[in-house]
Amino acid sequence: MHIPDGYLSPSTCATLYAGASAGWYASLKRVKRQLSTRAIPLISVLAAFCFVVMMFNLPLPGGTTGHPVGVGLAAIVLGPWGSILAISLSLAIQALFFGDGGITTLGANCFNMAIVGSFVAWAIYKLLAARSDASSKRRPLAAAIAGYVAINASALCAAIEFGIQPMLFHDASGTPLYAPYPLRVAIPAMMIGHLTIAGLAEAAISGGMIAYLQRTDIGLIGGAKTPTAQPLAVAPSTPALRRLWLTVALLMLLTPLGVLAAGTAWGEWSARDFQDPNSRAQITAASSNHQLPATPPSGIEKLSSVWTAPFPGYAPSFVKNSTLGYVLSAMFGVGILLLVSLLTISLARQRQSNKVPPKHRHHFIEQTLSGFAKTFSRALQSEHTAAQSGLMQALDPRVRLVGTFALVLATLLCGRIQTVAALLLLASVLALASRVPARTLLIGVWLVVLGFTGVILLPALFLTPGQPLYVIPALHLTITQQGLRAVLLLFLRVGTTVTLTTSLVLCTPWNHVLKALRSLRVPTEVVTMLAMTHRYIFLLTESANQMFESRQSRTVGPLSSSDTRAMATRTAGVLFSKSLELSQEVYLAMLSRGFAGEVRLLSEFRMRGRDYVATAVLVATAGIVVWIGR
Amino acid sequence: MPPAFQLEQVSYDYEGIPAIQELSLSIEHGERVALVGANGSGKSTLLRILDGLYFATVGSVRFDGEILTAERLRADGFGFAFRRRVALVLQNPDAQLFNPTVFDEVAYAPLQLQWKREDVLRRVTDTLSLMALDALRDRPPYRLSGGEKKRVALASVLVLDPEVLLLDEPTAALDPRSQGQLIDLIQQWKGTNKTIITATHQLDILEDIADRVIVLDGGRVLASGTPAEILVHQELLLKANLIHAHRHSHGGITHSHAHTHRHSHGAHEHEH
Repeated sequence: MHIPDGYLSPSTCATLYAGASAGWYASLKRVKRQLSTRAIPLISVLAAFCFVVMMFNLPLPGGTTGHPVGVGLAAIVLGPWGSILAISLSLAIQALFFGDGGITTLGANCFNMAIVGSFVAWAIYKLLAARSDASSKRRPLAAAIAGYVAINASALCAAIEFGIQPMLFHDASGTPLYAPYPLRVAIPAMMIGHLTIAGLAEAAISGGMIAYLQRTDIGLIGGAKTPTAQPLAVAPSTPALRRLWLTVALLMLLTPLGVLAAGTAWGEWSARDFQDPNSRAQITAASSNHQLPATPPSGIEKLSSVWTAPFPGYAPSFVKNSTLGYVLSAMFGVGILLLVSLLTISLARQRQSNKVPPKHRHHFIEQTLSGFAKTFSRALQSEHTAAQSGLMQALDPRVRLVGTFALVLATLLCGRIQTVAALLLLASVLALASRVPARTLLIGVWLVVLGFTGVILLPALFLTPGQPLYVIPALHLTITQQGLRAVLLLFLRVGTTVTLTTSLVLCTPWNHVLKALRSLRVPTEVVTMLAMTHRYIFLLTESANQMFESRQSRTVGPLSSSDTRAMATRTAGVLFSKSLELSQEVYLAMLSRGFAGEVRLLSEFRMRGRDYVATAVLVATAGIVVWIGR
Repeated sequence: MPPAFQLEQVSYDYEGIPAIQELSLSIEHGERVALVGANGSGKSTLLRILDGLYFATVGSVRFDGEILTAERLRADGFGFAFRRRVALVLQNPDAQLFNPTVFDEVAYAPLQLQWKREDVLRRVTDTLSLMALDALRDRPPYRLSGGEKKRVALASVLVLDPEVLLLDEPTAALDPRSQGQLIDLIQQWKGTNKTIITATHQLDILEDIADRVIVLDGGRVLASGTPAEILVHQELLLKANLIHAHRHSHGGITHSHAHTHRHSHGAHEHEH
């Protein structure tokens, strides 16, 4: 659900930044008042914990896997205010260090997941757990529901943000300038993925971990201390749940949008997913599991009318330009081929893995482990690129940060395809001049944009109302001029912004990012928490890695999905206790060295002549581009 | 001159579980003291009380004649002076190192104590070269080895040039070479005015790092004496769970005797 740059208009981003800032300000004040000097280490270490939990790949009924966001957990153990900060910190590090999720959309992502998510989770947990005993069975259930509803509330917010874009932001010809799908498409597309996959992952981790804490460290869940807590099992997948899942899977199979929404959540496509054949297979795994029924149920027909709704108004048309028509059919053909091949690969894998169950069952651990390994390799790659002498590296980090932000903003403000294409060229030259490896650019950035954004945007060719351009003969789908323009525009825009932010994060060592933020007047507490969160992400990832590896080395034979889920939640539970202990020790270490509630940092940067010149050039370029591209 | 630390009938408990019980103790300036005891004997808690991180539930703690309480430490003048003069190195270097780079780590304490910018830069650079850490200056903590982490942790407090150093298990989990380097460093301070209080359960380093050994058991002082006096006292060490009865056989005769691991290599010798 991490919205990348380019999908939301600058004014939407600004509004959501303002909303998020209000939440950040209020929670920072409250948390400091409640916890006084203890807040910084506690929130930071737990933000790192949330980050690591986000890497857990949970097997879900039906053969798919999903990542939790951890907002249910954070809200229950930290309260809504602490949770806002912890989740925001972990999202900020994903954007600023791992290049995951946009920088202009950071406000939106924090608003949806950290603020809305935290409050919803906390409110539902309080409501359902009410005055129940800390060891009551109601608690894990309440936590699971809280996590499930919270993540869906966040998804709904994101869907609405996507959905209002074509309504509010389009050019004279009616071409949507940002996310092209209207509410009636955006909402079901987002919600199908979250009501099933992401929601279940969140429910499993929240409920499972609360159950684990009830057995081990009941004091942490609040309420009366009851040392003789009854051991509770992690909620198993009941037959009823399985039936529900089956129905949902069928719905997904029959809804073209469902195919897009499965596997990777709609609006979240990363290099990881695209390069890893396992994840690619996951995209279609859910829908390939089950047989097609003879006739679709009425609910499904209703849903598919959502899909066709925009078309009836447009008469089938002929192709005005045969070359363009040819290119478009080719594009569409490639898209269909891609989907079919992914489906086939997934089917083949499913068969194969049925024969070799242990391999399949360990899949989850392997995936999670490889996620951990990537965290480290990402850090090393950044360290390597940052140490090279290149264009970006020669500039003051503040200039890089401001310059990148200005160019990203310019890309968002441009409505002309040619101008955005020129910006993409400029961004690529900048990246190459900064020694970003061409391979990283090609495979890690553009191929991902091409693949995922491409697949997601494909339906927009037909769904955008406007001048008919070409009708695909067998399918009776009409490509509109506006649809084509919208897709191309968004495509180029996402490519440009991702290229820009990738070069920024790869060329700037993390401590420089922090110091740049500090000298750009980001509050010291926030910078310190970002630094600490980042630092402990690595430590906790290492711990989690060890736990998974030791479990893997002791596990022989197949593990059922529910066993694997139980294992993941246990690991999360152990990690959580460790994190709390660690935060206490870090706090002592800070106190011992003179920390008295006020953080002091050293700023070593000095602006040189070329830094001023570079700032001027970058900002001027951005300005000119916006002016030309209007 | 008042002693560095003077503890009178100090008790401390964690949520009702006693960790230190009616402990009285006096440590002179410039003294090198080792606190030994098994896991859970109260060593770490005692160090944290001495560092003004935990405060006695009963009894009084004085530093250089001044009573040590949470309120006193919150007073700017006293707080800064105390933090400047007394430094603690935690057992877990991962908790001690919370900054983005080695340089920032070492600069942390002087910055919190509001030193001038130039002083901070100069002292940090000096300390890094003293501890042979120049090359690691810009490394993030997750790219350091165990031994390097310990060295950075030590550098992060040595930068203040404190009078009192409280070390919690400084040699734990170190390879023999790093351990040797650390002991050399502690030995260098012998005869200077530094008060060094080390908590350890490693008996083989006592003679190198301490003039006086205090044996703790269940939060109380079991014995106190020179390293030589303590180390020969097998019964005492057995009682403090620092050694274990060792049962084995030699040519058909099975017997048991107290057994220390003072010498890390080579077999122990004894007569039948």
